[in-house]
Order: sequence, then structure tokens, then C-alpha cells
Amino acid sequence: MTDRPRIGFACSYTPLPVIDAAGFLPHRLLPTGDAPAQSGALLHDNLCPHVLRILDRALAGEFPPLAGVVVMNSCDAMRRLADAWRTTRPADRLIVLDLPMAPSAQLTADFREELTRLVDFLVAAGGVRPSDDALAESVATYQELASGLDLLRDRARRGVLPGGWAKLQEINNQSVTQPVGATLAAIGAILAEAEAPDGAARGAPIYLIGNVLPEPEALALFAECGARLAGEDLCTGARQHALLDFDGPGDALDCFARAWLARTPCARTFDAAAPGAVARLIAEKAKACGARGVVAHVMKFCDPYLARLPYIQDELQRQNLPLLTLMGDCGGGALGQFRTRLEAFVEMLGARS
Amino acid sequence: MMREYFDNVAGQLAAKIAAQPELPHARRRFALETARLGQRLFSATDAVAWCGVPVPFDLLRAMDVHSCFIEFVGAMMASAGAAGAMLQTAETAGYFTDSCAYHRAVLGAALNNLMPVPDFLIGATTPCAGGLAALENLARHFRKDLFVLHFPYDADERSARSLAAQLVEMTQFVAAHTGRPLDPDRLRAAVEKTNAARALMIEVYDLARRKPSPLRSNDLKDFGIVMPLFFGSDAALEIAQAWKDELTGRLAAPAGPPERLRLLWIQNRVQFKNPLIAMFEDEYRAKIVADELNDIPWGPIDPDEPYLGLARRMLTIPLHGALPRRIERLVRLAREYQADGAVNPCHWGCRQGTGAKGLIQRALRDADIPVINLEVDCIDPRNFAEGQLRTRLEAFFEMLG
Repeated sequence: MTDRPRIGFACSYTPLPVIDAAGFLPHRLLPTGDAPAQSGALLHDNLCPHVLRILDRALAGEFPPLAGVVVMNSCDAMRRLADAWRTTRPADRLIVLDLPMAPSAQLTADFREELTRLVDFLVAAGGVRPSDDALAESVATYQELASGLDLLRDRARRGVLPGGWAKLQEINNQSVTQPVGATLAAIGAILAEAEAPDGAARGAPIYLIGNVLPEPEALALFAECGARLAGEDLCTGARQHALLDFDGPGDALDCFARAWLARTPCARTFDAAAPGAVARLIAEKAKACGARGVVAHVMKFCDPYLARLPYIQDELQRQNLPLLTLMGDCGGGALGQFRTRLEAFVEMLGARS
Repeated sequence: MMREYFDNVAGQLAAKIAAQPELPHARRRFALETARLGQRLFSATDAVAWCGVPVPFDLLRAMDVHSCFIEFVGAMMASAGAAGAMLQTAETAGYFTDSCAYHRAVLGAALNNLMPVPDFLIGATTPCAGGLAALENLARHFRKDLFVLHFPYDADERSARSLAAQLVEMTQFVAAHTGRPLDPDRLRAAVEKTNAARALMIEVYDLARRKPSPLRSNDLKDFGIVMPLFFGSDAALEIAQAWKDELTGRLAAPAGPPERLRLLWIQNRVQFKNPLIAMFEDEYRAKIVADELNDIPWGPIDPDEPYLGLARRMLTIPLHGALPRRIERLVRLAREYQADGAVNPCHWGCRQGTGAKGLIQRALRDADIPVINLEVDCIDPRNFAEGQLRTRLEAFFEMLG
């Protein structure tokens, strides 16, 4: 398993089970580390730091050898990543996969065709064309992974996961860069241990939303500031692996397309029939997990979130849930600023209780 | 208030055109039709739709829907010097200054009750995520239904078929909101007018390419992006014909100083009043002869297969899809217009057009086309750094010789 060739990806909507079933190891191109900033020579500085940092890492040769890269057509920044990658690493195989905005019948059928195109791409990259059974097996493996991560998340929420949310984030990161079997084994080992208090402060419960926050130390910051994470909805967290219903009519890819588009939407993927629904969903989830406040960690220059935060804030205000917005830049330097603002936010929540 | 404004502008322009009927009045006809569009949008009697840039306005016209892309409103506000107040309103409401000012201005106008309440909205996933998010915000603000066209990434026939199928769904959505189903004969007539306007616009661009060019730098400002709003109507034909006549006349009787430098303008123009163009022309005899958005890379639409033809056209918008296609087009335009260099106004907040600025500069440099990147906001004059821009432009023009 470990010597499988890797396929790079950068968006949690990437169909990992399809990549796995074709014989590859999906490898998330995480925007971490301190590679020198070179992307500014190619892309504008007002572009999402997530994408700029991935490009910096690619230019610095920090990623392992990749048999190909899958870029989801999810937002402007991802499209620019594809443009820059093609220019600077022309020898790499790269596919831009369309991701419909909403799961209408027409667009689901289109996405199914995109999955076929992805399979063709993977075969051309040296993979195998997965049978329905092979795809079903990969889907089952990833569902087991999602289920295991949910159990860990529940422990983290209850404060009985040693290492807390930071440990969970380490496992999250492992799940997208290492073989699934190894991650399942790691999860199994943790779950086999008795629950034990994580030792963190049991402060005001907070619901964390946003896009990319892969650094375990960033998750640890919440506890250090006296906040207790009651739940999260992040691209690099709970949204990465989702429990989905893959049953229904049609072949394996039909079922996969339907299930994949039924994932919890991010700010980019919304239902046109219900404008603003993402705000209600966030408020509902925050209430459901008992949060007293919401923290939005959003990449600077991320239009899907920037444009929606005002009405998300309105909705949360209506629900008596204060919102703190932290603008991420995929650099460790921001954590110091976050600390000050988080401490003040937690203090404010404490004063309200 | 807005309706009165458009009534006044339209009245004044119509009077000026009527006073000298022997002249083509190309720019005035363009401005007049723009004002008339404003009148229709603010008429409060007909169906109105706020849309994304690539929506087929000829199809909507055939269904008696007055429609407009929202960025046009931002541009109008900026050119009228009214964007500042709208931006401030939007920012006070929580919209970030890092987002596109076209969209912030529109959202501010809506919050200030200066936008007509639409009957529905039609968004598109191209050219940018910010535009679609603004339309979603407006749909929420106005409590009106939104339809979204998903643009596949590749501009191939499979994508065109997908988009064509979505256009059929869009037509049903519109009919459900207006209570009027599409009359196929009216769509055919609209498509035929679009094709006729297309042919005339190609002739206009052919004339603009002459050396020396009969154009002045601002003549065809916003032409290629705004004309689709008039597609399917006689007005589009009249405007294109007027430009053809005007440029033909200028070629027959050249006037003004000789042109020294010919420039290609990338993406959108700066919409508020600024001294840059005058500086180009007066101090350096540099003329914008080509605009990236003034191009017709799409073929005539088959009236027997209108949805597929419209979809093919929609997929050709310059800011859609993979960058190599855009660069190929920029290089072609630079060659066709014999441009000495290109100006790229890097509109702050634009991840689509501006996002790839370094890649564009590099590719054009490889094609021996010098580029100057100008850090500007095309809508928001508050941070317009005239001195800095002037210094950079001076160096650029000196380099071009």
C-alpha cells in the first residue's frame, strides 16, 4: 500500500475513493510549512493564501513525487492554481474536474461524466480502471475512515481525547497524506484506549467554521485561550471525509455522483433554490452542539466566504450567537494575533453566560 | 429618482442625435441605448432580471425580460461618481474591502434601495465566484428566486451541450416566473438580429485594426462587454452600424495627431473619471486600439439550434476556462492590432481576471509583447494612486520607445 503512486489534490470535494480504487494514494497538498514565497511572481497577491502556499511548496519541491494532480473547479483560486501548476510543472499530469454548484439532475449527470473522465485520467497516469466492486470497496474503506474520525471527533468534543483537537487534526492530516489503512489502524489504536480527560480548560463552547486550517497547533490554540471546541465544519476537518449514502439506482459511478454532491455544502457549493441557506445551516449546527459562539476561520481573499460572512453574521446574531472572524494567511505569524482575539472573544462569551 | 435620471439622459442624447441627423453619433447611440436600458430596468412595469455577465440577454429579450449583469450597475455608479457612497454602505454592512468593488457597489446600491427589485435573478459560475456570491446575496436581499448556470471548465462540445440543456431549464424557469412561455419564432428573430449585429461588430473591429487606427482610446470602452445586453434587438444593429459608419468616415478624412504607440487593454477599463487615458494620448501619443473584451471569437448562431449556438458563444467569454486559451487570444489580438504593448489594470479584488497577472505577463513577454501591470481598483477611486501610476506608465512608454 505504501508504495502506491500518489495523486495530489487540494479540495475536500476531490473524489478520493475513485483515486484509491484506481490504485493511487491520494495526497492532499496541504498549505503548511515555510517554503519561500515565490508564487507572487505568477499569481496576484490578492489570491487565496491556501493556493499561493501550495504553489510555493510545489515550486520548492516540498511535495513527494506525484503521478498526477486533480484540481477541482471549485473557485477562482483553484482555477488559478491549475493555470500556475501547468505553467511551472508542465511535465505533471493535471486534470481540472468540474464540480457542480448544486445537485440538480442535469448537473449530477454531468458530474458522473466528469468521474468517467477522472477514471480515464487515472488510467492514463498508470492506474487501473476500477470495477464497480473495487470502487465499492474503496467507498466502504473511506466510509469506515469517516466513521472512525467521527468517533474521535466525539471524544474531542467531550474532552476525553488525549491531545484533544490538535491530535484529531494530526489524524485528519494523516488521513489525506498516508495510506488509509495506516490511518484506520491509528484510529483503532486510539479508540481501543480508555477515554481520558484531555486536560484542557472547559471554557465557553465554540463552533468553528471556515475553510483551511490544517495546523494542529492552530486547533490547540482554542484550548490554550480557554475555549472549548464543541464542533467544527472545516475543509481540512469534518468536511474532508463524510458519511454518505451511496445506494440508489444506476451503476457505481451514478451512485457515487449523487452521494458526493449530497455532502455538507461549503460556502462555494450552495443551493440556488435557497439563497443564504448556509447561514441557517451553520446556526443550526452551532446550536445543536451547544456552542455559545461561532468562530469563522476564513482564508483572506476567499470570495465565497467573504461574500457570505455578512449574512452569516446576521443569522447568527438573530440566534444570539456571537461571531468572531479570523482571517487566515496560511502562515504561522497569524496565530499570535488569533490568540489575542480569541482570548477576548472567550472572555466576552464568559461574561455573557 | 433613478428613473428620472435615465429619462433625462435619454432625452438629452436623443435630442443631440436628432439635431444632427447626418452624423453617425456612434458613442451617443451607445450611451442612449444604455440609458434606455436603465429606463426599462426602472420602469416597474415589465419583468426585470439581474444576471451574471455571460447570461444570454438575447434569449431573455425574446421572453420580454429586461435584464442586465450586475457589474454594469457598479460601472455606471463609478462613471457617475456615485460609487463611493455605495461602497461605504456595503462596507458598513460587513462586506470586505478585499472583495471586488463592482460587486460591493451593487450590494451597496441594493442596500440603499437604488436597485430595482427584480422578478428573479440568473447567475453563472463564470467569470468569477464573487459575482455569483453577489447574486446570491441579492436574491436573499430581494427575496427572489435565483437560477444558476453552471459553466463547465472546458470549452468543448460536451460542455456546450451541458450548457445548452441548462439554457432549456433556464427558459422554463423564466416562463414560470413571467407566466409567458418562450415563443420559438421570437427566439429565432432575436438570434438572427444577434447574428447581424455580430457581423457588423466584426467589421467595426476590422476597421479599428487599421494602422493608423481611426479609434480614439475611449471610443470602444466597454463596447464588447455591454453590447451583448442589446443583442437580439434593432438597437444593437443601429449601434454597430453607427460605429462602422463613423470609423469609415474617419478613415476617409483622418484627423488628430499621428499615433505613435498602439496599446492592447487587458480586461476591464477603469470606470471612474481619471487622467490616465488623456496622459496616454496627449503626452505619449499612445492609443488604446484593442481591448481584450472587444472580440468576437464565436461563430454565427444557428437559428435552428439556438440553445447550442448560444451555449457555444457563452463558453467563449475571455475570462472563462484555462489560462492558455486566454493568453492565446491576447497574443492574437496583440498581433492583429499590431500593438506595441499591453496594459493590464489589475483590478483589486478580481481573482479571475487579475489572479493570473504574473502568468499573463510572462506569456506575453515570451511573445515579445511588453506588459505593464497597473495596481488599480476599476470602480473605487479612493485608493487611486495617480502619481505612482504616472511614474510607472512614463517608464513603460519610454521603454516602448
